[in-house]
Amino acid sequence: MKAVKEVKRKEYYIFSPFLRIFHWIMASQIVILFITGLLITKPMNVSTTEPFFTITSMDLVRDIHFTSAFILCASLILRVYGFIVNKGDRLFPRVWEGHFYEETVDVALHYMLLKPHHASFLRNPLARMSYAALYVLLAIEILTGFAMYFMTSPSTTGGLLFGWVNMILGSEMMTHYVHHYVAWFIILFAIGHMYMVVRAEFMEGESEVSSMFSGKKILAHTPKDANELD
Amino acid sequence: MKRDSLWEAYLKRGMSRRSFLKGCVALTSLMGLSTDMLSKVVEAAEKKPLPVVIWIHGHECTGCDESFIRSASPLASDVVLTTIALEYDHLLSAACGEPFEKHLDDTINKYNGNYILAVEGAVATKESGIHCMSGGHTFLHTLQKAAKGAAAIIAYGSCAAYGGIQAAKPNPTGSAGISHFVGGKTVVNVPGCPPIPEVMTGVVMHVALFGTLPPLDGDNRPKQFYGNRIHDTCYRRPFFDAGMFAETFDDAGSKAGWCLYKLGCRGPETYNSCGNLRWWQGMSYPIQSGAPCIGCSNKNFWDEAPFTDRLPKYGKIGDADKIGVGLGVLTAAGVGAHAVASIIQRNKRDDLTKEE
Repeated sequence: MKAVKEVKRKEYYIFSPFLRIFHWIMASQIVILFITGLLITKPMNVSTTEPFFTITSMDLVRDIHFTSAFILCASLILRVYGFIVNKGDRLFPRVWEGHFYEETVDVALHYMLLKPHHASFLRNPLARMSYAALYVLLAIEILTGFAMYFMTSPSTTGGLLFGWVNMILGSEMMTHYVHHYVAWFIILFAIGHMYMVVRAEFMEGESEVSSMFSGKKILAHTPKDANELD
Repeated sequence: MKRDSLWEAYLKRGMSRRSFLKGCVALTSLMGLSTDMLSKVVEAAEKKPLPVVIWIHGHECTGCDESFIRSASPLASDVVLTTIALEYDHLLSAACGEPFEKHLDDTINKYNGNYILAVEGAVATKESGIHCMSGGHTFLHTLQKAAKGAAAIIAYGSCAAYGGIQAAKPNPTGSAGISHFVGGKTVVNVPGCPPIPEVMTGVVMHVALFGTLPPLDGDNRPKQFYGNRIHDTCYRRPFFDAGMFAETFDDAGSKAGWCLYKLGCRGPETYNSCGNLRWWQGMSYPIQSGAPCIGCSNKNFWDEAPFTDRLPKYGKIGDADKIGVGLGVLTAAGVGAHAVASIIQRNKRDDLTKEE
């Protein structure tokens, strides 16, 4: 194997800085939210005999959880802005286009190791669907989270905006369950996501990992969905 | 026939103006009103004729009545005998039989549009409602008949509000709350299993004195009694915030009166006045007695077992956290194996391209 090779590649600018910043805020906040969330469901017990402030204080854990949730929600504004100004931030699962399904099968067969490779994409259809699913999970977490958070005073604006979630789910306890279960699905997504990104990097060497820092993918093949950047 | 007002009822019983005013003060605070409303309460109590109340019972255990008759301020006997005109009550009436059933019809006709309908118990909807019958009629029939001319409808207890224990899965009788069976009228929900006695009397007195429904929240519960979570009014809340929890029902924390959150307390999800009003004239409430709240005033609380845990358990597998860790490990192992297989596949592919 030669140490230096000459390869012709094209650079595609995909992710706006707004999306990238949002991505890393989201990633860090999800970790914080998940850990504090587990601690809220099953709190550590402080071994004291009198109430006093400690690092395991439920109050502190909850405050971190809430602060982190607000940071995550606030950062969504970056995502929305990037979505508006930059085409690369808009890589939907194009379920309304026929070729989407053929390509999905093609990529899935490759991931099932039944095919040696799949066509090159800026973002392949399975990845597109998984990110769409993540946003759905995130939306559920935000709705159920605020539904619980604001109900300390149900007649305030927040209570009126989110109280209906508890009604739809039947009871507030159910809201807790849904919030908790969906959190686990987000973590399962994160494991899969990190693996797929790293895998794409070592399989194809097409700057999958660094794209979330630089905003660019440097591809050897012409991606099928390159037209979505025009 | 002219009906007495509260003041006239006091006069008839030879009670003083002073005790009348004291009664009004008690009523004012009981209804959750601020004290500057006192003059309005007094005025209403002097002028408004005592409200006619029809109290019917459906699919339930009558535990709400057991609670109601223990109301101490005002005494339930005072409410029943002097402050409301209770014309018909399945449980408390001494009369029975056909004359009693006829009296219900008479009352409905005589006070059409003016009486308060208090309902306890769920509507059994399956098999045309035969699972709950009295006086030869299904409860649904009685309810619809009485609801038609009611000025206000109050659903007492979680059964009347949401269906109650008998609505637990698989709900063989098709029990449901009354709100869909009263012809679109607003139902004041007073959930609880049972509701706090003073809350029951407070709500009926509010309707009786002001002729209007009390301010209601999105679920039609009176805000003054269901506006706060038990958790947010609980005297054990400092232990929660500090992270001091009873782990079992017999450990030191439990004996010391620490927070019951880890024993499944539903205080953080439950809206009721247990934390501030408490029961039996402020004597105690479940959490104070060392029993975690089971959320008896919540919709569907009966299907949210176990009451002594924060998360449901799924047989031997355990709760969501155990399953989550399991799935996480499986996923990690899966991607690990996939990674190895992918590398093998890539190497094969590269060999092929080299040969070409």
